[in-house]
Amino acid sequence: MTDTTAATQPQGQLSSSASSEIIIEINQMNKWYGDFHVLKDIELTLHKGERIVICGPSGSGKSTLIRCINALEEHQEGDIVVDGIKLGENLKNLDHIRTEVGMVFQNFNLFPHLSILENLTLGPIWVRKMSKADAIENAMHYLKRVKIPEQANKYPGQLSGGQQQRVAIARSLCMNPKIMLFDEPTSALDPEMIKEVLDVMIELAETGMSMIVVTHEMAFAKTIADRVIFMDEGDIVEENEPNAFFDNPQHQRTQLFLSQIL
Amino acid sequence: MAIITQNKTPTRPAPLSESSVLGWMRKSLFSSWFNSALTIFTLYIVYITLQGVYIWGFADASLVADNRRACYDNSLTGACWAGIIDWLDNIFYGRYPREEIWRIDLGALLLLLWMAPMWMRKVKGKIWIGITVVAFYPFLAGYLFAGGDKGLFMQLMIAAALVALPANLINMLLGLYKEQSLGQLLHTFCAKFSRDEKVQRNLLLALVVLSIVIAFVLQYQWQEQGVSWTKWGGLFLTMSIAGIGIAFSLPGGIILALGRRSKLPIIRVLSTGFIEVFRSVPLITVLFMATTMFPLFMPEGFVLNKLTQVIIAVCLFNACYMAETVRGGLQAIPKGQYEGAHTLGLGYWGTMGFIIMPQALKHMIPNIVGNFIGLLKDTTLVSIIGLFDLLGMLRSISRDVPWLGLHKEPLIFGAIIFFIICFSMSKYSRHLESKLATGNKN
Ligand SMILES: Nc1ncnc2c1ncn2[C@@H]1O[C@H](COP(=O)(O)OP(=O)(O)OP(=O)(O)O)[C@@H](O)[C@H]1O
Ligand SMILES: [Mg+2]
Repeated sequence: MTDTTAATQPQGQLSSSASSEIIIEINQMNKWYGDFHVLKDIELTLHKGERIVICGPSGSGKSTLIRCINALEEHQEGDIVVDGIKLGENLKNLDHIRTEVGMVFQNFNLFPHLSILENLTLGPIWVRKMSKADAIENAMHYLKRVKIPEQANKYPGQLSGGQQQRVAIARSLCMNPKIMLFDEPTSALDPEMIKEVLDVMIELAETGMSMIVVTHEMAFAKTIADRVIFMDEGDIVEENEPNAFFDNPQHQRTQLFLSQIL
Repeated sequence: MAIITQNKTPTRPAPLSESSVLGWMRKSLFSSWFNSALTIFTLYIVYITLQGVYIWGFADASLVADNRRACYDNSLTGACWAGIIDWLDNIFYGRYPREEIWRIDLGALLLLLWMAPMWMRKVKGKIWIGITVVAFYPFLAGYLFAGGDKGLFMQLMIAAALVALPANLINMLLGLYKEQSLGQLLHTFCAKFSRDEKVQRNLLLALVVLSIVIAFVLQYQWQEQGVSWTKWGGLFLTMSIAGIGIAFSLPGGIILALGRRSKLPIIRVLSTGFIEVFRSVPLITVLFMATTMFPLFMPEGFVLNKLTQVIIAVCLFNACYMAETVRGGLQAIPKGQYEGAHTLGLGYWGTMGFIIMPQALKHMIPNIVGNFIGLLKDTTLVSIIGLFDLLGMLRSISRDVPWLGLHKEPLIFGAIIFFIICFSMSKYSRHLESKLATGNKN
């Protein structure tokens, strides 16, 4: 599954841009779906400018974890503090957090009835109260950064999967978020489109964005991650920096997982 | 061993059965002796029927006669359209005073003018046309038809309508000749004065308020003689009830559907209860309840006329049906759309208004128009509680002394009218669907 990403490897690892300022702090967080204990005593901190990659087998709770971070899911126990605001306290903060946290989904979730440009300007105009002209300028800036400015007036259904995912990334960036969350952004894509999306993400990483990325693209993970986290059955099993994590996994479950995936 | 095709296979024209009418006929109508026999037999039946209709409805029909007897003297086997022609004014306008009929015609004309841009491809801002027609036209037309004194609220709404209608027409002309919308024109106009968006917005607001004030002063002089609702009837009454029902039921249905999906238990329970009660009772029962029981619940001295009661009943009944249609449409929207909207920080109303509703409504167009057609046909029930709508009028022809017993022709005439209206609605809905479908392929 990794030959397409091999191309990104020779670039080598990005230098870390992490500062000491903490932007996400998760403490003893637990979540249940009904009786099912999905996330168990999660402890996690993200520093400003830091990039974390989360991997783990299917059903281990990776998506649930990052969905909790921007309050798409509620957690039942413990604290999540994002950008100084504790989640679950009041509803007004919720929209604030969501505007500061961008999220990119596996299946894009673009709005099919709006043109690409409208997809990109809706949030800035109505949430950030930007003027229409500024919002369009802003949108075109980010469309250029994801290298598809010529598609601005098309509709999502007329774009390839890779292009749609790049639009989705641009849509989040248009809100000028402090943190970006990615939930398997390339796993719904055909192999030849994966690289174009990963390249955009690497460029984003180079700008010093704080990122949490759930992915199975291990070469990519090695390139951008400051830390790699391995999850299994709702636990954070192992946490290490990428070289150590891939070359010398400590836990048995990590070894098993890596042997299957590499 | 590899097989390599050296030459390109040349393209050939499609077989005859795909390309010519004759070929198509042979393939689909005369492919075997049995199919041929069926085709010929069917054609024969169609011929007999059409011939019968032609002889009864056209060849032997009487168009001019003083009464039914005279029709029969003319021909025994033909239709007696003379009765319909004699009653035509009643069928269309009921017992509305003849010298005031122009008010109804003017009202209909204004509606046509208002709605016409909806059909024009070049005209922009169709949503605004729809919103203004629903929000303001009923008040303008209501006063035009009913006349009498107008309260302050009525006056305000009339003033708004008098601004919205010309604005709509200007928008239409701009769209047709300049490929622009009124909104864009005003925007560039305001932009000339200041670059600050806030100032621009206030300027726009001032413009709107100013024109409403002018319209208010103008309409203040306008006084129409009152016409009692008891004189309303015929197609006019049918269209009035159905029109108000249609204008109210969609927004009402959307609100009820959102209420039913609300996270707040009180709103959810109330909406659900309301919807279920109205949906599980036949319309005729609702109509009877509205006219007999409604007054009992009202405070003393508060009297609504029967027409108003009926209109309220029709509106509520159809809003509940529409609510279920809307809910069905909402359920078809994938969860990811909500999540996409949430991650942008759009709140509940932003998510619903910009993301969910536009997509859901598009899916629902066939069902919504189906509801409208049902509503129009259901209004014939009001003739049972003593209003003379189109059906009521048609049936009273047979009780009119010169045309005693004339049943067939009025009912057929009514069927034709209903067919024309309903068919154009469903045609328009298909036109809408295909137009929206080309806008964004999914
Ligand atoms: N809405 C829900 N209701 C009940 N159970 C759920 C719900 N969403 C997820 N789960 C369960 O929670 C567990 C974790 O799901 P999650 O989607 O977080 O896994 P994941 O690590 O992202 O897996 P994948 O790699 O397949 O995306 C799974 O066992 C799943 O069945
Ligand atoms: Mg997942």
